[in-house]
Amino acid sequence: MIITTENLIYKYGVGTPFEKTALDNVSVSIREGDYVGLIGQTGSGKSTLISHFNAILKPTSGKVIVDGEDLWQDNKHKRIQTRFKVGLVFQYPEYQLFEDTVYNDIAFGPKNMGLSAEEIDSRIMKSIEFVGLDKKFLQKSPFELSGGQKRRVAIAGVMAMSPKVLILDEPAAGLDPKGRDEILARIREYHSETKSTVLLVSHSMEDIAQNAKSIIVMNRAKCIMHASVQQVFENAGMLEKIGLDIPQITRVFISLHNKGYNVSSNIYTVQDAAKEIMRCLKEGGLYD
Amino acid sequence: MIKDITLGQFFPGDSVIHKMDPRMKIILTVVFVAIIFVVKNFLGFAVAAIFLASAVLISKIPVRTVLKGIKPLLFIIIFTAFFNVFYGTGVKVFPDISWLSWLTYGGLERAVFMVIRIVLLIIGTSLMTYTTSPVMLSDAIERLLSPLKHLKVPVHELSMMMTIAMRFIPTLIDETEKITNAQKARGADFETGNIIRRAKALIPILIPLIVSAFRRAEELADAMECRCYNGGDGRTRYKIYNFSLRDYIASIIMLAVLAIVIVINIFF
Repeated sequence: MIITTENLIYKYGVGTPFEKTALDNVSVSIREGDYVGLIGQTGSGKSTLISHFNAILKPTSGKVIVDGEDLWQDNKHKRIQTRFKVGLVFQYPEYQLFEDTVYNDIAFGPKNMGLSAEEIDSRIMKSIEFVGLDKKFLQKSPFELSGGQKRRVAIAGVMAMSPKVLILDEPAAGLDPKGRDEILARIREYHSETKSTVLLVSHSMEDIAQNAKSIIVMNRAKCIMHASVQQVFENAGMLEKIGLDIPQITRVFISLHNKGYNVSSNIYTVQDAAKEIMRCLKEGGLYD
Repeated sequence: MIKDITLGQFFPGDSVIHKMDPRMKIILTVVFVAIIFVVKNFLGFAVAAIFLASAVLISKIPVRTVLKGIKPLLFIIIFTAFFNVFYGTGVKVFPDISWLSWLTYGGLERAVFMVIRIVLLIIGTSLMTYTTSPVMLSDAIERLLSPLKHLKVPVHELSMMMTIAMRFIPTLIDETEKITNAQKARGADFETGNIIRRAKALIPILIPLIVSAFRRAEELADAMECRCYNGGDGRTRYKIYNFSLRDYIASIIMLAVLAIVIVINIFF
């Protein structure tokens, strides 16, 4: 297990009339090398949970264990080291850019790690390749770029630290469908190439089904489920009750299945759907 | 959310003082400040303190909250008291100890007098900000200053700027927190090193913050223009303030306090 939380509780505004429990007894474990999807309604505690994984927030009670180390038991230096192990890309990360060139901005994280200039340079080259940016952007000011390009620079800035775990909070929010697919494909590539653990927070069940291997479901400050994609999406009724959904394509196949067609109802991506239809047509002898 | 309360000062409620016309509240606060400076002896302060205490009770604002307002200014209060001790004349407290011979009863009295004056000033003025929302406050200031329009002072523009500035304080605090966390996630360290290092560490926060402040300003300007905002001329108001009975009663009480203080000054 690369990240484990034990009975994690986090309260905002303790001691004021505005006290609110944002995380209520959350115990989750994330396997090394997994691609985890984190879903839940707005305000269910997703962002609060991921902010605990790299010691940005301090638990009100409970433990956060990263790579075998209890984050809040030791000194501050360890926690800063944790931030290099668990790279966190916040929502709308393009607003964090500040350097005069894209190159320097991506270098910020690796520089804080205390790496040599050559190492930093090679990491920058690798990370812009991962996010699919041309090298000609490196000497430009980040403020000249388009929104989508800025976001890639920001993600590259975290990837350049080569974290063992990469956490992305809605990395595709506000992008057009093409930019969306592109960025998610890049992250998938990063995951398979570096064998690192990835945690994706998203409101899109399609994106989650397309990418994740397991899913954590949050509802009202609690983690109510952590299981495989299939096990989670089998509970369409439960998901709907907490304001979530199943992928559209799954909905289509469940209806087909219920109408008596000989198709599986466990279809979560369009690619699988295409295969399933082909199989069905072949079996029916209508197509060969 | 916690930050909003301490920063915005406003403490929602529905007491008589909350409901008073904000213009009257500003005028009476100015009168109260004047009273505090008119007072010449401790008896006068007693009258002002009793008046203020009853006002706080009527406003139903927790006494603890009111006293908390003094905390940030504690240093100034202590500083003032400390220096006033030296300016005293009269009987020495320790006539036999040579290195304490400067300490006089007159000086001590002066120090206590100044502390009471500052504390009453802080509580009196913060009572106004506790019971009046920032928007009402700037609205009232605009109206009180509106005669200056004849002198070509851009009163409406000034108050609009004030309102916008106050409106965006919580937003910018939020934004600062977000950017700080994002840079922390990239290993930025704001807590160690000497002053120069720490000041340099703020650059990754300040630049995105300024950039986003400009972006927000542009967006707001566009949004205002889309709704045909073109300054104060001919603009009607959603809320019309009228002085009511409670405003007149409040001003009579305040004038009575002023009168009592003056009488005390003359006779005691």
